[in-house]
Amino acid sequence: VRYKILTVDDSKTVRIIVRKAFKNYDCEILEAGNGVEGLAVAAKESPDLILLDVTMPVMDGVEMLTRVKSDPQLKAIPVIMLTAEGGRDNVLRIAKIGVRDYLVKPFREEVLLAKVGRIIDLKPLTDQPIPAKSIFDPADLLVVEDKPAIITQIEVGLKDTPWKVHGASTQGEALDFCATTPPDLILISLSLPEAAAFSLFRVLRASVKSKYTPIFALAVKTETGQQQQAQTLGFSALITKPIDMTELEAKISKAMNLNTSERYFKIEPEFLLMRLPANCPSPVLAEVAHYLKPKISEAVDAGLARMIIDIHEFQNLPLGVIKLLLQAMQTCRDVTLQFALVGNAQIIAECKTFEDTRNWPFYNSITEAKTHLATKAVAPPLAPV
Amino acid sequence: VPAPTEITPTLLRENINRAVGDVFQTMLGLVPNLVDVTELPPRHDRIPLPEVSPGGRTPLVVGTVGFLGEINGLTSLYLDETFARLSTGQILGMTATELINAGDERVNDAVGEITNMTVGRFKNGLCEAGFPGILTTPSVLRGRNFSIEPTSSTARYVDDFASPRHQVAVDILLSTTD
Repeated sequence: VRYKILTVDDSKTVRIIVRKAFKNYDCEILEAGNGVEGLAVAAKESPDLILLDVTMPVMDGVEMLTRVKSDPQLKAIPVIMLTAEGGRDNVLRIAKIGVRDYLVKPFREEVLLAKVGRIIDLKPLTDQPIPAKSIFDPADLLVVEDKPAIITQIEVGLKDTPWKVHGASTQGEALDFCATTPPDLILISLSLPEAAAFSLFRVLRASVKSKYTPIFALAVKTETGQQQQAQTLGFSALITKPIDMTELEAKISKAMNLNTSERYFKIEPEFLLMRLPANCPSPVLAEVAHYLKPKISEAVDAGLARMIIDIHEFQNLPLGVIKLLLQAMQTCRDVTLQFALVGNAQIIAECKTFEDTRNWPFYNSITEAKTHLATKAVAPPLAPV
Repeated sequence: VPAPTEITPTLLRENINRAVGDVFQTMLGLVPNLVDVTELPPRHDRIPLPEVSPGGRTPLVVGTVGFLGEINGLTSLYLDETFARLSTGQILGMTATELINAGDERVNDAVGEITNMTVGRFKNGLCEAGFPGILTTPSVLRGRNFSIEPTSSTARYVDDFASPRHQVAVDILLSTTD
């Protein structure tokens, strides 16, 4: 649903300021220069919200508000007064007619967004599906924790990522940070004094700017009551202490919808390179399998006809890796992509001992594999699985 | 709301000082300071901004908004054209080129709105002090080497504000008749 906001103000300047304030949100801004125009636009467009000035020519805001509230078709539309008229008696008189909120000029953009955000669900603008950020892109993570050692532990644990870890020890510090540097993800310790984690979560979710920011709860494994409360409130994920950094990194990547394919796939000028790390637990295998077909399609689309699978880091091949490699080779055959593998002596020898892997086309280096593929015309035959 | 007593220069100065500060800081990110206060006798004209408009040669953009109620009057903001353009660009997030393409109307409208906000804040302060009233819509004048000559039944206060690089004069005319 794309929300419609009608701004009724005789000042084009104010209408431009309003339009600018909402430019990053998925809503349509309608404009009118006085009450008569405002009523006409409201009747035609049925906006979800009206921002209304008071002092205007032709028909002022008080008159328009009175007519809106007496019209069965329009009276349900919430109205926020946005006006320089802030005298107590006048405000009370206008409030009695029926307004949802009142904002006196001059006003800050974030205050306007916050007031509107309390009435309609402002969502950041996404014209098209936003291309997922890469695992190699920088991001700001805010850790709200009153124990500095935990913040340091997270900072050290994520030092190989491009993410910057910022620490805050209180709710106030966290809110100040968010006001100046909206973070990409927030981790809040549930052990903050006076249940501050939950009140901070509510404040962040009520703010337009952090409404959709992933917020993780940091909890001691045995504190199940707190964990349940966090899940009920709607924390995006739960991280238990002591923190498993691999799990944390994986959950952060998922919550931020990061494209992690570049860890395993690289499109070189003449071939697609798939490289598996020495440690390939199930989540990593699942991640590689998830990207396998799209990356091969992308390579074919880019005009490539060769793929090199580099598994030289392995000391032995677990069954899960063998299955993944068979899947990769079959996908290559499906799109007639030539492929070769790069392994070490131990892996090559191990593969020779099994029926399913005996014929895998191994080479000792990427250069060797590349040279060999360049001389071949068709993909090598694959033993039936 | 306190019972209305009388409009004093101190009450006016405090309110206009707060209004100019709030509007310029919130909308333009500037912190202007009150540098000069002049209470002028009736029928005394004064060319505003003599420092930035020597001999009245620099073009000015002047926004005016009236207030009606327990007290009646007009308040004008005088900006030299350069500052008016700069303020418009700041408040609307427009570049100098975009402003040129948008034309003088855009600058006039922005000065009108800055005046509306300033006089609104000023008037609201007077309301809280026991002098309720309402605002008129803004009007904007452009020109150089001109001054307003009030009638004999008008009290006039001119307050000059300055930020490090710019000046604004606020001209308050109050009707002294019932």
